[in-house]
Amino acid sequence: MPGMKKVYLVILLVVIIAAAIGLGYYWYQQVYVKPREVIILGTIDKITVLDPAKAYDFFTWEVLNNIGEGLLKYKPGTTELVPGLAESYEVSEDGRVYTFKLRKGLKFTDGTPLDAEVVKWSIERQMHLNLDPSWLVTAFVEKVEVIDKYTVAFHLKRPIAYFPALVATVPYFPVSPKAYPWDEAKDSTVGIGPYKVVKWVRDVELRLEVNPDYYGPKPKTKYFIIKFYKDATALKMALEAGEIDIAWRELLPTDIIALKKGGKFNVIDAPSPYIRYIVLRCNQPPFDDVRLRRAIAAAVDRDRICEKVFKGLVTPLYSMVPMGMWSHIDAFKDEYGERNLELARKLLREAGFSEDNKFKIELWYTPTHYGTTEADVAALIKESLEETGMIEVELKSAEWATYAAEYIAKGVMPIFLLGWYPDYIDPDNYLTPFLHSEHCGHLGVFYNNSEVDELLEEAMVKPTIEERQERYEEVQRILARDAPLIPLFQGKLFLVCKKNIRGVVLDPVMLLRYYLIYKS
Amino acid sequence: MLKAYLIKRVLMAIPTLFILLTIIFLIMRVLPGNPVAAIVGTKAPPEVIQSVTRRLGLDQPYHIQYINYLSNLLRGDLGRSMIWGRRPVIDEIMDHFPATLELSISAFIVSVLIGIITGTEASRRFRSKLDQVFRFYGIVTYSLFIPWLGIMLQLIFSVYLKLLPVGGRIDPFMEPQRITGLYLLDSILTLNIPSFFNALSHLILPSITLGVYISGVFTRTVRSNMLEVLRRDFITAARARGIPENIVIYRHALKNAFIPILTMMGLQFALLLAGAVLTETTFSWPGMGTFLLERIMYRDYTTVQGTVVFIALLIVSISLLVDVMYAYLDPRIRFR
Repeated sequence: MPGMKKVYLVILLVVIIAAAIGLGYYWYQQVYVKPREVIILGTIDKITVLDPAKAYDFFTWEVLNNIGEGLLKYKPGTTELVPGLAESYEVSEDGRVYTFKLRKGLKFTDGTPLDAEVVKWSIERQMHLNLDPSWLVTAFVEKVEVIDKYTVAFHLKRPIAYFPALVATVPYFPVSPKAYPWDEAKDSTVGIGPYKVVKWVRDVELRLEVNPDYYGPKPKTKYFIIKFYKDATALKMALEAGEIDIAWRELLPTDIIALKKGGKFNVIDAPSPYIRYIVLRCNQPPFDDVRLRRAIAAAVDRDRICEKVFKGLVTPLYSMVPMGMWSHIDAFKDEYGERNLELARKLLREAGFSEDNKFKIELWYTPTHYGTTEADVAALIKESLEETGMIEVELKSAEWATYAAEYIAKGVMPIFLLGWYPDYIDPDNYLTPFLHSEHCGHLGVFYNNSEVDELLEEAMVKPTIEERQERYEEVQRILARDAPLIPLFQGKLFLVCKKNIRGVVLDPVMLLRYYLIYKS
Repeated sequence: MLKAYLIKRVLMAIPTLFILLTIIFLIMRVLPGNPVAAIVGTKAPPEVIQSVTRRLGLDQPYHIQYINYLSNLLRGDLGRSMIWGRRPVIDEIMDHFPATLELSISAFIVSVLIGIITGTEASRRFRSKLDQVFRFYGIVTYSLFIPWLGIMLQLIFSVYLKLLPVGGRIDPFMEPQRITGLYLLDSILTLNIPSFFNALSHLILPSITLGVYISGVFTRTVRSNMLEVLRRDFITAARARGIPENIVIYRHALKNAFIPILTMMGLQFALLLAGAVLTETTFSWPGMGTFLLERIMYRDYTTVQGTVVFIALLIVSISLLVDVMYAYLDPRIRFR
């Protein structure tokens, strides 16, 4: 019967196709065996631009620290500075000249040799372009002088006690003049660090391979691959499905807790010096009135944010200097307690507001740059301020590119949320950029207090920690009284990985060293 | 007559494109945000800001900027990205378009297959339980929240069964040699079988997610068109002649019901090519949707303009193609 023959033919065809697909799939599974010398790290963070002259975000700095290096670097697991591309340095008696002796025979991955001229060129390029991170150079360095082929001297504008910590930061990294143009910032994969870039597809994959020309110990894993995911849920599932070995930056708090409870992965955490805070624009109404700033500082509920949004994975913070860093004091707690609604209401009344005449403010935040929890943080701040009965908060948001590049500098936002990852490990980095009248405008604060300026400038140059600590503590007390900024909480670093991953070091520098990580 | 029809259609496409480009040009300049600030940062001295503004042509009056852009376009130059190394926009697009094309084709195949089969069977068994099920399917699928569907499939097939990957286009070290940028095609052309199956495994879940989502529209459209055709005399005549029911349905009725379905298919495919942001986000698929969204957020004017022009050209081309196929299938159209 012709009809039946056709049916049998169709069935046979389907079976053959299914068998072919099945065999082919089986074959591909056999062929595709993930090499042991590969580690795959998943993240939802992004690389902005692979140029030390422009990169000013945490994750790009982390990548640059693995494909590049500074004249000095931090010993992993510590805040101790050790020689990097420079084998030694000397400081002049007046503290204004730092002379570095470079290691000999080093070269970039494009073959350009590293010498004093290249270091000078790199720093001068940084100064010439004057982009966001350039202040770390231009605020301190007067000029760079080549002494001989492998000796270079930095002449500072004034003695700076923490200059070695600055030299370890990305803006001081030497770059190859062949790979980077003088006149503009540009992506380049050329470096001099333990890894070299073999493939980079923006927001898809960054593939690193051991740099055979690196002077130091070779990385423990031949290939280190970063896969970029678009949201935290996909990142978590990728880890659970075994597609990635490490999930870093960053899983949702609920997912971290669930993974910890599940026991199938290692959840590694460490205190982190990254902080979150509210910024109040001090040079214009309404927050030119210190009573209103203090009212906000008294009314905000840090505990609620830490518990409800972050499930206890972050800690309330009462100063701009993070806990664990020398000179930290709980200045805001001393001034306001953990929270003081009565004081907030009293201050608001003094400023002319009441239940019938509410203080109306626009609280700004950026929805993705600090993670997807940011909208919840803003909502809880709104809730806590409105509990005074005398404040009305309207929430507004803008994407990071607009928020950072335009609104902050132009002072469009009277009160907004911001975060800070340290550029260098020193309390100065948590105080001077925010409170010194010469710098704080860049962060939208516009605070002007000559007493604070003087204390910060003195602390910068005092030779002993005790002398510096005394001044930083006084600055924190003034900060709490004047409240141009209101610290909210301090973060923790969380990295989740498969049980066979070793060598993960999370330290105050917060930059993951890919070259230490391996599979057991 | 067909030639005249084609010429008429091509001429109609040109003003459509210009209107679209003008609207986008104006919107990009009205929205808040400054690409110069995004490039040079907040601390650049005024002379640097001026120099970059001049280099990007943003110091010119708007009408001059528009004229310059149009004249570049006529020379095939979509401009250069305003950020991150100033790559040609066309290169940036070609980094992402193959991914979108691959996903669009596979999702389209899934949606059409499901839509035609379910719509046809629903019309065939009018008012039966099966008809009700497929009608319900048509409504529910279009109301689905894509990320939810995608996550459910990821949980089942990736996390629990570990059969398929969670996201991305292909695993590291498995990319085929680039010829077209379409991984399936490139791996066939280079006879790289492991790469073919690796790419295919990554394509399955996003294609099913997106395909199921849009299949609902096809189900309903096919069903209603088929019901209308099945009432016609020639169908009764075909049945009366003893032609098997499957042939009546799939060869005679479906062909006649197909013309309006074809129009809808063309539009749906064109929309797919513009990028599917939700699917791309859920599956970390590096396509045009998320690429365009990101460049909008960074106020990369030239890339956004160039990308929208590219998408507009695609949509207009596909509409033209659909019109041509329509006229080819139904000669009555050419003579209108």
